[in-house]
Amino acid sequence: MIAPVSVCGLSKVFFDEGRGEVRAVNDISFECRPGEIFGLLGANGAGKTTTLRMLSTVLKPSAGTATIMGHEVSADPEGVRRNLGFSSATTALYPRLTGRETLEFFARINGYPGPQVRQRVETLIERFGIGEYAEARVEKLSQGMKQKVSIARTVVHDPPVLIFDEPTVGLDVLNAIEMQKVIAGLRAEGKTILFSTHIMSEAEKLCDRIAIIHRGTIHACDTLANLRAATGRHYLEDIFVHFVEGASPAKKE
Amino acid sequence: MKSSAETGKRAVDWPQVRVLYLRELRAALREKAIVINSILIPTFLYPFLLWVALTGIMFTAGQTDKVPSRLVVRSWPEARIKFQRALQNDKRFQWVDSDQPIAALEERVRLGQLDALVELLPATNTAAALPGNFAARITYSQSQERSAAARERILGQLDDFREKWVKRESRKLGLEAPALQGFTVSSRNVASTRQMGAFVLGLVAPIIFVVMVAVGTFYPAIDAIAGERERNTWETLMSSAASRVSIVTAKYLYVVTLGGLAGLLNLTVVLLTLKPVFAPLLAQAGKTIDCTIPLAALPVAVASSLLLAGFVAAGMMLLACFARTFKEGQAMISPFYLAVMVPVMFLQAPGLKFSIALAFIPVVNVTLVVREALSGVFHWPQMAISLAVSLAAVALLIRAAAYVLQFEDVVMGSYGGGFKRFFQQRVLKRPTEVKS
Repeated sequence: MIAPVSVCGLSKVFFDEGRGEVRAVNDISFECRPGEIFGLLGANGAGKTTTLRMLSTVLKPSAGTATIMGHEVSADPEGVRRNLGFSSATTALYPRLTGRETLEFFARINGYPGPQVRQRVETLIERFGIGEYAEARVEKLSQGMKQKVSIARTVVHDPPVLIFDEPTVGLDVLNAIEMQKVIAGLRAEGKTILFSTHIMSEAEKLCDRIAIIHRGTIHACDTLANLRAATGRHYLEDIFVHFVEGASPAKKE
Repeated sequence: MKSSAETGKRAVDWPQVRVLYLRELRAALREKAIVINSILIPTFLYPFLLWVALTGIMFTAGQTDKVPSRLVVRSWPEARIKFQRALQNDKRFQWVDSDQPIAALEERVRLGQLDALVELLPATNTAAALPGNFAARITYSQSQERSAAARERILGQLDDFREKWVKRESRKLGLEAPALQGFTVSSRNVASTRQMGAFVLGLVAPIIFVVMVAVGTFYPAIDAIAGERERNTWETLMSSAASRVSIVTAKYLYVVTLGGLAGLLNLTVVLLTLKPVFAPLLAQAGKTIDCTIPLAALPVAVASSLLLAGFVAAGMMLLACFARTFKEGQAMISPFYLAVMVPVMFLQAPGLKFSIALAFIPVVNVTLVVREALSGVFHWPQMAISLAVSLAAVALLIRAAAYVLQFEDVVMGSYGGGFKRFFQQRVLKRPTEVKS
């Protein structure tokens, strides 16, 4: 069975005029299994966002390969994006469209079958409870409302793989918990979810498997139980520090 | 480093383009700045500005007519006392008594304290042979509006006086005045009211047309790229299943639509309002105009508007590729915006003909096509060249944009420079990758 997400030797090198060559992601490899939440755990600047941007084809890898549902990111970027829902702090909504227009637009542009778009949008409006403000322009919505529309936008074309890059950043506690519930619900539907965070409790709570990434390299990748067993530590925070500060050799799948 | 192979190498997906294009238009028509610049200004600014200018001119003229001219009269011969009384009885003049020397009076005229100094000096040479003759000298300041008006009024009085005098002297000699005049001069304007309308249209419409297409294109071009980056919607779009070439095509068509719409709206309004706006001014000069245009001009105007918008949009979007914020976009596009205006200045050159050579100059060629079409003139060879040159220019700019958008950091808005820097770094020198 093909893994929904497969990453092999992926690297990204930037050239910065001040710092010269910067290796943001360095030869990482991992796989996400069907219907699991895979967490990419790392501090700010660890390479999480760059990795996810490469998987969403926004950036091109400098080396290595990655496939989403069998579509290679460099060779078939459109095939990748049709099978992917990508949400991050930098994927905002169009402020001058209403919630309903937003969902219809992204359903159509992502290739959802035309005759079924309206029905799909109605379903999502009901499911995410955005009916009351579906006709209001996004610019008029609160942060929590926008977040709901944004998730609905991410899943509107019913992709098998979802990528959430730090989805709870900027949300208050209640909205963050709501977001976690939504992600768990999507897993229950059988979606494969790749999820990045620097919040340990979030990773602990949601992720089936966790990859600890630091300075562009994956230092560990396993279930929380196995990571606990391997390090002899209970809290993910301690496990994270153990791998990052201990400079353990990269542990790849 | 260049980004994925998809950029510029895949066919345009027209259903995707349609969805993207409609979204752009829908959002744009809800944006105040775009609606103002692309629709309201082209529609209302021109007639409003002309109305303001015309009202201002008429108001100023009316005010000047009511203000009396302050005169000091010197060296007035006793024989011409009747003429002096005629001037004194004219309420448009206010006589000022002064015994200051001529030099001091001239200084007062220069400073605007007096409007004119009139001297009736003794005639010289052969003119002195005529009894009671004199040489009138008016001292005034052309830089003072009241003073210039005073001169005109005095000249009018002098002409009346001269005419009456000639008649009197003719009678004394037993002659009729026309016999002394020798010949008469009359002029006749053979231009039809429609030709006059075409002339006025040709003066006004093409310039405003170019300005309005540029204004109508300016905001959408920035908003389509830099605006998206600033609002963080660029990455949302880039991570959708739409191909990059479809995204760029849709955005380009959207900018062309608004630019073309601005041009067409403006042309329509010019045609509808030129006559009522100009009629009062022309009526004062005893002229009338007819601003109807030939039917064949309509498709030419539509095509020209889209062609010009296509060129301006391609140029502006090429530069806007480098902008990360709306402000950066404005700064990067402004030089191109001004450059588009420069050729238009030449359209005011007297006797400018639409030559083959001019047909090779972008912007000027399309503007001249419009100007001639409004007058019912169609130079087909020049029009064909204009079309070919404009399409070639658009293709060149789009090709340049496609090349620029192959670079990942430019696409993602993380390239820290503009077109000039890019050209120096990536085209003239060895390409390097900049942090995204």
